[in-house]
Amino acid sequence: MATYSSKRKRAVVLLALTTVMLITLDIRGGGATSGIRSTFGSVFRPVEGVARVVTRPVSNLWYAITRYEEVVDENQLLREKVAQQEGAAVAAAASVRLAQELLALNGLPTLAGINSVTAQVIGDSPSNFSQTVEINQGEGSGIRVGMPVLNAAGLVGKVTQVFDDRSIVMLITDPAYALSVKIVKLPEEPRPIIPGEGAESSTTSTTTTTLPAPTTSFIAGFTPGTTTIPNQVTRPTVQVPSLTVPAGNVDSVRETGVLEGRGPTRLPIVRFIDSSQRFGRVQIGSPIVSSGGSLSLAPPDIIVGTVSRINERLGTAGPVLEVTLVADLTNLSFVRILLYQPVTERNRSASSTVAP
Amino acid sequence: MMQRLITVLGSRWTRLVLVALVLLAIQTTLLSDLRPFGVMVQVLVLFVASAGVLYGSEVGAITGFVVGLMYDAVLTTPLGSSALVFGVVGVLAGGLPYFVREPTWWSRIVLVVLLSALGEVLFPMFQAIIGFEGWVQPRMFVVALVVALINLVIAPAMMPLTRWTLKESVTR
Repeated sequence: MATYSSKRKRAVVLLALTTVMLITLDIRGGGATSGIRSTFGSVFRPVEGVARVVTRPVSNLWYAITRYEEVVDENQLLREKVAQQEGAAVAAAASVRLAQELLALNGLPTLAGINSVTAQVIGDSPSNFSQTVEINQGEGSGIRVGMPVLNAAGLVGKVTQVFDDRSIVMLITDPAYALSVKIVKLPEEPRPIIPGEGAESSTTSTTTTTLPAPTTSFIAGFTPGTTTIPNQVTRPTVQVPSLTVPAGNVDSVRETGVLEGRGPTRLPIVRFIDSSQRFGRVQIGSPIVSSGGSLSLAPPDIIVGTVSRINERLGTAGPVLEVTLVADLTNLSFVRILLYQPVTERNRSASSTVAP
Repeated sequence: MMQRLITVLGSRWTRLVLVALVLLAIQTTLLSDLRPFGVMVQVLVLFVASAGVLYGSEVGAITGFVVGLMYDAVLTTPLGSSALVFGVVGVLAGGLPYFVREPTWWSRIVLVVLLSALGEVLFPMFQAIIGFEGWVQPRMFVVALVVALINLVIAPAMMPLTRWTLKESVTR
């Protein structure tokens, strides 16, 4: 039977202590560990690049075998969806423009004032227990740690590591991800617009809306005070969906909570910071958007998802909401990084920005 | 001086770093793309377990530490967490002679496969211990099962590779 000498024991214990020390240093945010990552990255990236080129045909063959049917079905579904959304998108663009104008008039921040960088997703997480993707833009494009990442649908995650020409993005579904969000109240009883009914519901049925006291605008491309809906709305081939507005005034009260990721197989949840619900019961289907604020990871009003399930809790604790994300995180190709670095992430930037 | 350099370059530890670099590149590219049943195949932990089974706990621990540290460098998890888990797997793999007097090729493969699955369970548990909660969920057993089944196929090829990588240098 093999013996376990004291020398071997010492070696094993020494290695264990070294790993514990490294973990402690890394969690405390020391620069030494980022130095190790940086040095290793400069050695490993060329090897990984060669491996990517060599293994790409095998990956493509795998996708061709395993996902052909799925891709064909998805393609058909997407064609139908595109046809359905074409009209809605034009009307939605007009609504967004109107909202931006209103925000600008009131001096509130909007996404329109934030520059962004488009990047391609070039790799998935190399682990079963982290939810990250790699993108092909880095520090050279102005990307910094903590910046929010979006795709065409909505929020995708945040940048956690930056190299010179690539970055690592932590997805919303990673358990380490948390974001302050607000739940937008759905209208109680929506009703269709009736032309000429009155001033309160006149935002979408006319082509020109007059707003009070126009002053100055920080948003390029439009003049405050007059909003013109694009002419494309009148295209004969596009079926414009019936738009609805809330009965009476739009209630702007929103509930604030924290969105937490729970891994790839479980939907993210929202826990309320304040258990008192100011706007009554949360409804399934209510939109969830980033709340913004000086300490938030993202600017306000980035769409995150919708409430798909409400788990009531006993006592004074508010309900826990399950969230269906609007962005399909399993199929990311191109993403947009908002060049907005939260205050809370600026200190991490120095230790996590890594040389090529 | 030149002789010494050749000795260092020809040592088992130099080979270990080079082979681990290639395996890590395969892990982050090919295996990151191929995800049967939504689970990524883990060859790094298989390599570490093979090292422990073939060369004992000490070599297994060192291999686990080196490979784990390299893996940590490309992950967003704390540096050292994979190194510790892989080190534990390497040490446990080295314990085979305590239980089997004359291990056969298939008993080695079975142990390597079981330990690679154990590594996949230990990783999220250790993450939870150091404060990164959320990964301890029933899915980790599915991951471990799929990793074990696929590693059962890969293990016969991994064993000779590990044996070649970590064999004692001829010059010594």
